[in-house]
Amino acid sequence: MPYRRWSGGCRLLRAGAIIGSGGRCPPTAMTELLEVVRYREVLWNLVRRNLKVRYKNSVLGFAWSLLNPLMQIGVWYFVFEVLFGRDQPNFMAFLVTGFLPWLFFSQTVLDSTACVTQEMALVKKAYFPRTILPLSALISNFIHLCFAFIVLLGLFVIWRVDVNIYYLWLLPATVLVAVFAYGLAAMLAAWSVFYADVKFIVGNLLGLWFFLTPVLYPVDNVLRGSLKSPDNWLEIFLSENLPLLKKLFVLDPLTIGIEGYRSALLRGGEIPIVHPEYPFWLYTLGATGIALVTAVIGQIIFRRKADLFAEQG
Amino acid sequence: MPVIQASELWKQYRRPKVKAGSLKEAALAFFRGQRGSEEFWALRDVSFSVEKGEAVGLVGPNGSGKSTMLAILARVIKSTRGAINVVGRVCPLLELGTGFHPDLSGRENVFLNASLLGLGHRETAARYEDIVDFAELHEFMDAPVKTYSTGMVIRLGFAVAVHMDPDILLIDEVLGVGDEHFQHKSFGRLLDFKKAGKTLFVVSHNLDSITSICDRAIWLDRGRIVKDEDAVEVVTKYKLAVEHWERTIQEAKARNATPR
Repeated sequence: MPYRRWSGGCRLLRAGAIIGSGGRCPPTAMTELLEVVRYREVLWNLVRRNLKVRYKNSVLGFAWSLLNPLMQIGVWYFVFEVLFGRDQPNFMAFLVTGFLPWLFFSQTVLDSTACVTQEMALVKKAYFPRTILPLSALISNFIHLCFAFIVLLGLFVIWRVDVNIYYLWLLPATVLVAVFAYGLAAMLAAWSVFYADVKFIVGNLLGLWFFLTPVLYPVDNVLRGSLKSPDNWLEIFLSENLPLLKKLFVLDPLTIGIEGYRSALLRGGEIPIVHPEYPFWLYTLGATGIALVTAVIGQIIFRRKADLFAEQG
Repeated sequence: MPVIQASELWKQYRRPKVKAGSLKEAALAFFRGQRGSEEFWALRDVSFSVEKGEAVGLVGPNGSGKSTMLAILARVIKSTRGAINVVGRVCPLLELGTGFHPDLSGRENVFLNASLLGLGHRETAARYEDIVDFAELHEFMDAPVKTYSTGMVIRLGFAVAVHMDPDILLIDEVLGVGDEHFQHKSFGRLLDFKKAGKTLFVVSHNLDSITSICDRAIWLDRGRIVKDEDAVEVVTKYKLAVEHWERTIQEAKARNATPR
């Protein structure tokens, strides 16, 4: 009987029948997406479990996803306003709006380094599209971001920042950060299965990256070269000595994402000026391109490695 | 039409000569010239087909490729060469209960496990009572699974798996789990499956359970099919071979022990 190598399983898959083709289907992005949709119940279960397990054995439980950013803000308030006596209107609002997208990004990337290894028992036992694992890290942290927004809106009432229609700009800014975070998450999830070092390297690189994103300082200080406070080493660092870093800074999807958040929440939708010489749409396009390319490369790397996960360890 | 068709399956595992779990070890191994990996064929040219409603046992010594074969059927790993086609919903019962999360309750784990086996939330909810009844764990379902005894975990895992209404059930060394009462019950459940025209694929070192459930058995040795025919016949021949093999080892030991 003639045996056709790829055909049978794939045709059944398209017809929506539940089959196990022994992984004979070529892993195209489309079939993987269909598989994720078919196994969405697993995704929701993993997300629910991530949310529950994160604060297990803690008395306050879910309240921590609200309390964590609050406490971080408290620390900054102490450092910048009490210790340094920095006097800038709405400085706390400025910090928080930059911190939320950063927290979403960095936690997703950090969680991704454990997302496969911690589910090894499932990976070895049953088939499900492995793409679900980095996706669950992304979605769990998106939900944490939503929780944190509830706190933020509460704070805005206290700080008397007005709520307006320009908040809708948060959507594209969040999508940009999410796409970029997913790409890195998929890539790192795959590598961390084979090398435990990835987790530690990523943790430290994120520590550096934090200072290269405009969470703690306004972006125009860096790029207009207006050194209002010469003691700020970072401004000098970025604006004069390292032109390449400066370019990367402008094209970093996080810079655009954070500035997008600030424009939406604090500046009434005013277009942010990230670079004085080029129009906003140009570097936004560049950053979007970088985010998309990262996502595609990340997914390709992940799919290539995914078949070997169950054989590892 | 066969529900499982495997043709010329080859599976190669690569074991790095030095197992590198970190970048440092990988780099050290690289500079010491310990590159490359040892190749090990777990399956060599395995072909068979299984018709709907058949119960097939896999026998063979440790390392003969039985679990690799099941893992390929479960889509957990991929074969290196060859093709396999499986039609219908496959439910793997590999290493029972390991898909459970210790910090979640029994109830939450049932839903998680069922979703992994392809069931939606509503479908699982409809079966939930039956699953709990079968596992006999009514008063423990809201306790975290880490507080369960081994037997309880195994009972719950088995209960979830047999309530998934699979077309093909893959069973790896999980016959004879739990106490006498539960063993009897799970065994009866498997026979019901067979009567209902479902396909069973069983790996076990317990040869008696193979002969009592399976009609057909495949004997694997070092990745190759030695025999593929009636279960009783294969098991009888396999038993003889094992006896012969053990006798050879005994004799070799005795010979080495004799003083020169």
